[in-house]
Amino acid sequence: MASNSDLVSDTQRTLYPYVTGTSVVALKYKDGILMAADMGGSYGSTLRYKSIDRLKPIGKHSLLGASGEISDFQEILHYLDELILYDNMWDDGNSLGPKEVHNYLTQVMYNRRNKFNPLWNALVLGGVKNGQKYLGMVNMIGINFEDNHVATGLGNHLTRPILRDEWHENLTFEEGVKLLEKCMRVLLYRDRSAVNKIQISKITEEGATLFPPYSLKTYWEFTAFKNPTVGAEGSW
Amino acid sequence: MDQKMDFNAPHSMGTTIIGVTYNGGVVLGADSRTSTGVYVANRASDKITKLTDNVYVCRSGSAADSQVVSDYVTYFLHQHTIQLGQPATVKVAANLVRLLSYNNKNFLETGLIVGGWDKYEGGQIYGVPLGGTIVQQPFAIGGSGSSYLYGFFDQAWKEGMTKEEAEDLVKKAVSLAIARDGASGGVVRTVIINSEGVTRNFYPGDQLPLWHEELEPHNSLLDILGAPEPMNI
Repeated sequence: MASNSDLVSDTQRTLYPYVTGTSVVALKYKDGILMAADMGGSYGSTLRYKSIDRLKPIGKHSLLGASGEISDFQEILHYLDELILYDNMWDDGNSLGPKEVHNYLTQVMYNRRNKFNPLWNALVLGGVKNGQKYLGMVNMIGINFEDNHVATGLGNHLTRPILRDEWHENLTFEEGVKLLEKCMRVLLYRDRSAVNKIQISKITEEGATLFPPYSLKTYWEFTAFKNPTVGAEGSW
Repeated sequence: MDQKMDFNAPHSMGTTIIGVTYNGGVVLGADSRTSTGVYVANRASDKITKLTDNVYVCRSGSAADSQVVSDYVTYFLHQHTIQLGQPATVKVAANLVRLLSYNNKNFLETGLIVGGWDKYEGGQIYGVPLGGTIVQQPFAIGGSGSSYLYGFFDQAWKEGMTKEEAEDLVKKAVSLAIARDGASGGVVRTVIINSEGVTRNFYPGDQLPLWHEELEPHNSLLDILGAPEPMNI
């Protein structure tokens, strides 16, 4: 697996991901940010791990959601532990807000990309500080931006269109959760790596809340599903 | 297709490895086949390696890589135990394994299952697959033979098993994997770790159940035919 040049040079090369998480979806709502992800860790095409926590609170004001290589996500959490520790050590009453954490992550991801040794992740960083809501995304090549709703991976293709249509300013908590669940259900139907065990987290001025994992009901009762080849025998 | 025997192919442990928690400790299990290409280099290897008195690791993938990682972790844990003044925790052992796996991910090809018992958290199992992710689980399976066990464990695993139930489950599972995975074979070894200590067990094929299309082993056809054996003087 390692070529000779890997072993003799002092630089590492691009890696391949092994254990990966699929989409993360997040949106701004009235009181803060809502974020959702499933608990799957795929190993190639095998759905190997089904209880991986991909949403984590960072400090007092932020939530981090990750897709991509889980070992790299775990490493990022170590970096952030140190960052928050140093921030607390100042003991100056100030604390890192979501915008600052997102900026730090962007620097880390882009610098690693420049060294051809990326952290193979797409990260969603959301939070609220002093009433200001923030929601951003950064990926393994350093692309980063801020928006009212974000998603990673297949979520970009399947859920952003739904969010563009149905998101509006000042969604209530209930509306936000329903909208996220609609997105997660679509991903469950249409993403091969999706696992039916999802976690939703919210972050508001008061802090982060991680809701317990649960499964979504799915709908299969279309008549066309029951008799797909009616009217076209031999087709599929 | 005639495959040439490549005796210089890297030693790889096709392998089936398993780690299971029960109420009171953990049971680790593995097969015993090490292969170089199609040749079985060692048919009685021991893939369950001691890291400390209370923590063991199941090794899969490249034999060399898994051995060197185990050796380094044993060395670090030994020093850590001296400094700490008490037995290392399973979590520390597992995280040391993770550090080596993660920081050398470009060069290593080994999947490991760390299992043990400590006085703080009791029995714990940590999976450290390729790439260096660390995942604590109530049970873990690994190696090429594990592909055949996902469905089995989904159905047979239960929370709160006794020591006997857990060991039976592990024995059965490794035996099932050996039946279908060409890269797994030999004997089933188990290691049970709990507050009382460590117990090593060894189960050759004749002590394991027979599965579909497997037959009772015999010394000779002659025994089956019922013919009297030729006289021996």
